[in-house]
Amino acid sequence: MGSTTAKEIVISVCAGTGGVAAGGFNVIEAFKAELDKNGLSANYQPRVHKVGCRGFCAKDVLVDVQVDGKTETYQFVTPEKVAPIVSEHIVGGKPVKKWLVKKDYHIFHDKQQKLVLANCGQIDPESIEEYIAAGGYRAASKALGMGPDEIIEIIKASGLRGRGGGGFPTGIKWESCRRASGVVKYVLCNADEGDPGAFMDRSIIEGNPHAVIEGMIIGAHAIGSVEGFVYIRAEYPLAVERLRRALEQAREKHFLGKKIFGTEMDFDIKIVLGAGAFVCGESTALMTSIEDKAGEPRPKYVHTTDRGLWGKPSNLNNVETWANVPMIIEKGAKWYAGIGSERSKGTKIFSLVGKINNTGLVEVPMGIPLRDVIFKIGGGIPKKKQFKAVQTGGPSGGCIPASLLDMPLDYEHLSEAGSMMGSGGMIVMDEDTCMVDVSKYFLQFCVDEGCGQCTPCREGVFQMVRLLNEITEGKGTEKHIGLLEELAATIKDTSLCALGTSAPNPVISTLRYFRDEYEAHIFDKHCPAGVCKALTHFYIDADKCTGCTLCARNCPAGAITGEKKEPHVIDQDKCIVCRICYENCKFGAVQKG
Amino acid sequence: MPTMINLTINGEKIAAPEGTSVLQAARQAGIFIPTLCDYEALEPEGTCRLCIVELSGSIRPCIRVSCIQEVKEGLVVETETERIIKNRRLILELLLGRSPYCRELLDLAGKCGVMTSRFLTGEDDDCIRCGRCVRVCRDKIGAYALCWVNRGYNRKVATDFERLSEYCIGCGSCAQVCPTGAIKMEDRGNQRRIYTWGQVVARFELEKCEKCGRYFAPRKYIDWMRRKAFKPKGIELIDLICPECLRKTERPAPAKVPFGNGAFPAW
Ligand SMILES: Cc1cc2nc3c(=O)[nH]c(=O)nc-3n(C[C@H](O)[C@H](O)[C@H](O)COP(=O)(O)O)c2cc1C
Ligand code: SF4
Repeated sequence: MGSTTAKEIVISVCAGTGGVAAGGFNVIEAFKAELDKNGLSANYQPRVHKVGCRGFCAKDVLVDVQVDGKTETYQFVTPEKVAPIVSEHIVGGKPVKKWLVKKDYHIFHDKQQKLVLANCGQIDPESIEEYIAAGGYRAASKALGMGPDEIIEIIKASGLRGRGGGGFPTGIKWESCRRASGVVKYVLCNADEGDPGAFMDRSIIEGNPHAVIEGMIIGAHAIGSVEGFVYIRAEYPLAVERLRRALEQAREKHFLGKKIFGTEMDFDIKIVLGAGAFVCGESTALMTSIEDKAGEPRPKYVHTTDRGLWGKPSNLNNVETWANVPMIIEKGAKWYAGIGSERSKGTKIFSLVGKINNTGLVEVPMGIPLRDVIFKIGGGIPKKKQFKAVQTGGPSGGCIPASLLDMPLDYEHLSEAGSMMGSGGMIVMDEDTCMVDVSKYFLQFCVDEGCGQCTPCREGVFQMVRLLNEITEGKGTEKHIGLLEELAATIKDTSLCALGTSAPNPVISTLRYFRDEYEAHIFDKHCPAGVCKALTHFYIDADKCTGCTLCARNCPAGAITGEKKEPHVIDQDKCIVCRICYENCKFGAVQKG
Repeated sequence: MPTMINLTINGEKIAAPEGTSVLQAARQAGIFIPTLCDYEALEPEGTCRLCIVELSGSIRPCIRVSCIQEVKEGLVVETETERIIKNRRLILELLLGRSPYCRELLDLAGKCGVMTSRFLTGEDDDCIRCGRCVRVCRDKIGAYALCWVNRGYNRKVATDFERLSEYCIGCGSCAQVCPTGAIKMEDRGNQRRIYTWGQVVARFELEKCEKCGRYFAPRKYIDWMRRKAFKPKGIELIDLICPECLRKTERPAPAKVPFGNGAFPAW
């Protein structure tokens, strides 16, 4: 051994929830052991560390192997692959080509602009030293030397807007809370993240928890608060653990506690675990939940910046919003305002899921065309299917059709299109998606997750789901669409909190862009996407069928018959519309009707 | 004198004391706004959404519930616009969907021009989830015997674990504030039962009045009130005397107990 010429070895193993689930910790151990075995540990002090999620969780465990400043990235690493990587790449100087990431990994990252996630995948989230070495806590220290009004002006000038839902200008929120009368004020961080499929906030806390803490310190100084809370869902154990550790480290360094950074300011942060109800992410429900009462929304006729947690002025921001703050202070409002579109500044993290080749977390500058996110970063739709729509903004967002793919991705354009930014969920749907069925799914989520205290949301959304059910079962009549629209209008007008007022959005937007699908269900008793069982049947095109027997062998209902090399037939009485034949026929002979 | 606030309701100029709700101001002016979850002695929660009104003038035009919105100088309130009426009727229809035979709800719906519901669910539940019972038990009595269980459409009022309540003191306030009779209280002989959905949630033995011999209240309730009641100097709540007999005695009646309108419910 010892033929290596390498002097510096850094191995970065992805250890976010995705990485850990894929066995990240075992890979770290394997690397350590293997480096020892090869005698590298003694000579070169290699660094094997865990880093936060870099967004491409489908390829976990991802490992960066850096030898003398040259980095290669491996995908799907398992402990078994470690020995060859060490011997061939680190010792032998030849990367193991077949295990390296492929072109898609680079395309995935090309169009992204990583600011908030810059440190994720680079530094060890459990080490405050690594964060400091990467420039961390410089902004907080700088901010503490500035006047609160000066900070608020910078945040206002940067154009930063809330990343948790409404997109409210952060600087203005801080200012109202600063101006509110009262000595005791709170800064709060919303890490509830209840949208199905969303994991932006989790990844930030798992990968770079100190950025959130630093943002909150700056905010506390600007607002005049000595106590902060992070409300985080208990289902995020790794994030909670890393945040807890980060808070301890910050206290040790006197960045939190009494007289922080050697100034006169006191500030500390507590963690409050949420029980994981979606509605607890709503600002007033979050506050009642911290107060140890049932997490139910309250009418917001007095702003929470005037009367919030325990009746005191409270400033709530989302995890990602807080994580943006340090770099704005560090690099200036002008720099930040130079990124993004006219009224939406900076970057936004989206979780890209659904019928898309590259699922994962992506951070892009605001205003990037939707098409770039889906077809470049996301790599387009699998199996050469057609893109149909993308649902943004979480369960109560809207569906954006293909005709709007060139739309810039920012707050204004999304709400113009009848959707919203929400917290950044993005669910891609292909031609095989039934828009009525999808709307039903999202509304059902709101029926289950609403608190149920106010009538329009509790009863109204339930009734909308009932109507949608009838439509998908083929029992729709010409009255159904009208009733849906009537209910949607009242629920929007009269619900107590934003869960209710936005719950009808999926129906409103699909009625706007895909009304013909509703009409096909109701009048033609036909589900164009072939999803609704009562309105779909499959048949075999005798001209295309080669008689390969694949479908007959796979049919769970025994509904397909036919001789080898002869066209097959589906017995409609036996068929359970499970789609297996349709999905698997290699000759496109199974048709839906 | 409290500061008076000037506002307009349905075109009428009105002055109301600072801190009153738009609903109270409207009522004082003789303007009817339908409500279900509102109850005088309880903090408004604004959940039934029937008392919605359109606001403009000194605030950005919006729809809000009048039970929570406080009067504000220059506020312009409309209680019967087309949009409000449409929304209100639909909300009533939605409530009727689950409680189609509830007399009180039918009366109110009739007043608002709703005769039938297009949203019948096949249920027949007199509880309209206004939450008055939960609030009175929690906020006024302090017994916490009733609570909300489940989320969303399945939300309902229940005792802990839906068993016979340990915390219930048998005061009957819940039955008293229930607008539809979904929670009932029944005294028969020396037995008191409080029940809802045909299911008994609490059962008590009643104590006899030492003076007239009438069964009047459960022991637990008497003890509770004795602990909580405000006792003016020189007045002792005498054991086991019913309110009627107490009133007939020389002593002034126990003036204030921490229950909203000052009355002991259902002795
Ligand atoms: C039903 C509902 C759920 C919400 N869930 C979240 C959440 O999980 N995380 C979050 O940051 N904001 C959530 N919000 C938005 C918050 O109410 C609030 O607007 C936000 O945290 C404010 O922070 P920002 O200004 O930084 O965006 C939710 C809102 C509603 C109505
Ligand atoms: S809108 Fe829905 S979630 Fe919000 S308060 Fe009303 S019932 Fe609860």
